[in-house]
Amino acid sequence: MKRVFAFVLAAALSTTAFAATDPRTVPTQLSAPWQAKTRALFKQVIEIPSVHHRGETQKVAEALAAQFRAAGIPDADIHMMPYEALEGDNTTALIVRWRSPHATKKPMLVLGHMDVVEAKREDWKYDPFVFREQDGYFWGRGASDMKNGDVATTMAAVKLMSQGFKPDRDIIFFYSGDEETRGVGATLGSTKWRNLTEAEFGLNADGGGASYDRNFRPLGFGISMAEKTFQTYFLTTHNPGGHSSRPRPDNAIYELADALKAVQAHRFQPMQNDITRGYFEERSRQEGDSPLGQQIRAWLANPNDGAAADAIEANPLEVGLTRTRCVATMLKGGHADNALPQSATATVNCRIFPGVQPKDVQAELQAAVGPKVEIVPDPAYIGVPTPASTPRADVVNAVKAAALRFHGKDMHVFPVMSTGASDGSFFRAQGIPVYDVDGSWGISPDDERAHGLDERIPVRAMYDDVLHWEMIFKSLAG
Amino acid sequence: MRRLFVATSIVAFAATANSAPAPKLTQAQHDATHAMFEHVINTPTVIGRHNVPAMAQYVADQFKAGGFPEADIHVLPYHTGSATTGEDDTAALIVRWRAAGSPKARPIMLMGHMDVVEAKREDSTTDPFVMTERDGYYYGRGAIDMKDGIVGITQAMINLRAAGFKPKRDIVVLFTGDEETNGIGAKKGATEWIDLLGHPEYGLNADGGGGGFNADGSPAGFTMQSAEKTYAGYTFTVRNRGGHSSKPRKDNAIYDLMHALEKLEAYRFEPRMGETTKAYFQGREKQEKGPLGDAMRRWLANPNDGEAADFIEASESEVGLTRTRCVPTRLFAGHADNALPQLATALVNCRIFPGTDPNDIKAELEKIVANPAVVVTRNDDQVASLSSPLRPDITNAYTNAVRALHPGMPVFPEMSTGATDGRPFRVSGVPIYGTSGGWVVVPVDFRAHGKDERIPVQSLYDNVVHWELMLRDLAGK
Repeated sequence: MKRVFAFVLAAALSTTAFAATDPRTVPTQLSAPWQAKTRALFKQVIEIPSVHHRGETQKVAEALAAQFRAAGIPDADIHMMPYEALEGDNTTALIVRWRSPHATKKPMLVLGHMDVVEAKREDWKYDPFVFREQDGYFWGRGASDMKNGDVATTMAAVKLMSQGFKPDRDIIFFYSGDEETRGVGATLGSTKWRNLTEAEFGLNADGGGASYDRNFRPLGFGISMAEKTFQTYFLTTHNPGGHSSRPRPDNAIYELADALKAVQAHRFQPMQNDITRGYFEERSRQEGDSPLGQQIRAWLANPNDGAAADAIEANPLEVGLTRTRCVATMLKGGHADNALPQSATATVNCRIFPGVQPKDVQAELQAAVGPKVEIVPDPAYIGVPTPASTPRADVVNAVKAAALRFHGKDMHVFPVMSTGASDGSFFRAQGIPVYDVDGSWGISPDDERAHGLDERIPVRAMYDDVLHWEMIFKSLAG
Repeated sequence: MRRLFVATSIVAFAATANSAPAPKLTQAQHDATHAMFEHVINTPTVIGRHNVPAMAQYVADQFKAGGFPEADIHVLPYHTGSATTGEDDTAALIVRWRAAGSPKARPIMLMGHMDVVEAKREDSTTDPFVMTERDGYYYGRGAIDMKDGIVGITQAMINLRAAGFKPKRDIVVLFTGDEETNGIGAKKGATEWIDLLGHPEYGLNADGGGGGFNADGSPAGFTMQSAEKTYAGYTFTVRNRGGHSSKPRKDNAIYDLMHALEKLEAYRFEPRMGETTKAYFQGREKQEKGPLGDAMRRWLANPNDGEAADFIEASESEVGLTRTRCVPTRLFAGHADNALPQLATALVNCRIFPGTDPNDIKAELEKIVANPAVVVTRNDDQVASLSSPLRPDITNAYTNAVRALHPGMPVFPEMSTGATDGRPFRVSGVPIYGTSGGWVVVPVDFRAHGKDERIPVQSLYDNVVHWELMLRDLAGK
């Protein structure tokens, strides 16, 4: 559900000329045989359209399970967990336990999801469900959200097993089948299936990652430790309707248009927490004396400086990091071409700042759009605010070592708040801290295409991510 | 598609005051009318139920039994269908009553449609496909839209023939089978069947015009439909890169679309006055003493007085009569609740003033929206509907027929804001006049397309007489 690069821009990173190398042209450190294996699995899973209601997610689970099985994980430790996600959407989770022969620590959980957001052939340049390597990228739906992470975590484990590596704690792989819709798998995984998933902490492959700007300057590696609460609301207007040859002065579609204009114009109160302060301190250092750097410093110095917060929020790099945000994502209205609409509904998706209650956001939206518009939270998903996870030195150090190896010393590692909601929120809510530490990367903002058109990932980012996870596993379970 | 009766009480047509008393139906004619009406009401000619061909054959058989030669009776099966209406094998009926001797003019076409809008048993008080007589009404789907007109024309022609009437020009009947859905029968009538129809000089449509009485029994007036707006659909489409909804972009397909619709809401098309609507408002202003009447008088005096036209348009009784109107009727946008929309569309339904090219309206919509990100496209290939000239022979015939049955009844012209089978004929140069003689009590009997459709019993029989009078006048001299 997320996979948003930590930030973008940073135009004023350095006042000196920066003679950077295009990171996409740097050779991967992954050996050719493992590149081939990784590519084959990536192709296989990208070409399974594991969109909700298509009944295909099971095939992704089988593909991943086959890798673990071939590497020597016994069938008893490979669990297919079928469940119903949305109504009529039968999907599955995959839980794999890589046992330690001599466990000295509590297990570690590795999270990912196998489902992808819908993608329509006619909207894309290429078929979203045909794997393609071109121009230094792998293309396809799920290329960055997050079949890359499924492949990287699985291949890293398989590779370590082939080398005879024995972890000193159990590593539990949990791949869900409905992260992009309602997170029923993560809900079950963090509760009903807890006997299979109990762990000291979780590492989520559905977040984290490094990015570069268009001049190939490193923008940083963010470890997500907190996330906004996801809540969708339906805004509906009603009208008696009638024959379209006789338009009425009141009209459900026009009233909805007024409501959405109000939603578009509305700004929620700026807020900060420990994670976002840590993030903005790093950003302030990077930005130096740029206008954005000055705005960030002004806001850090005075959290009540709303003008500074607004300027930061307006920057494409920082969208969603200073407050709750709501945006219209879907529309549906009317019932016949030649009849005045009797109702019109907009789907408004909100990402709520940690600590703010969804019902208060609903009340604020209601005040903005007026009493004529009916607002209901999506009954299929009621967001529960989750706590930020406490930073762990071992996790941060493992990521720093990996970032240094693949990106050099200029790639800073720091905490971020995710503006998306992921499976991690369900585990955080149930007391398992989760850190988003995937090692893939891209050019910001050009490669930020999760959920959008022509999703892609640099070829090297895919291959090096296998090595990244190998380092993480060795560091935290070796 | 609709039967609009205007509730006014004015005299717009100064017809020659020569109305003779109306003839009365014989008992046998009365019974035949009743039997035919019952039979056709009980035939559910809804799209997808495949019953129109049977009804066409039944009506054809009535003509045959009435002595019309088989060679001049044609049941013409055809297919109708579209993505939104479903499909059906339907039929049209063409009957040609040839002039005695050499015709003194080109044929008069009499039009109607045999299909009806769906009606569900559970939504209706009585079975909508079982004709039920109750409280002075006949109930049933199609009672006023428009099986009354099918029966009225058919029985009138049978009666006239039995009475020895010899038309001086051909009278040709065209009953279509898909007016309520796709109008393919009318399009064929105006093109591939036009030879069979004998290239009529004009058409009289039983699916337009008609009259009303107020609940207290006072006359509300009759109208003759001589113009109709062009129905045309447009789509507004906005595309966007989209992205993740946690990172809203400044540009958003939904917001762009909503701003376009707000501009459309605020926009007023240029007021227009045609021959039909001018005559209509000349009548209406005499009735309206208050601010609405003042606005009509100002606008009639100065057609450039846009403010007066706006005031009239804002009145509930006059909506759509002063100009082209467009309104959004459907919305679709987005593909997931957690993704920024890549595509947002609105369907905009326009009713275009007669004579205006729908392509010009497309250009105007583009100007209104004034945002190249919002792409305007057409959903159909309709061409401009034209008004039919107000001809004294037809207005007099209609007025006289109405007044023979309803002495002193006000009669005036009407522009329909909806669309009928008349449109393709008007477009191809055949004037069409909605000249039904049916009447109802206003507004309680406005039930076309709605629940418990009904017609006053007497109205059914009056309509037969009405068509006899019309044909004697227009084809007998």
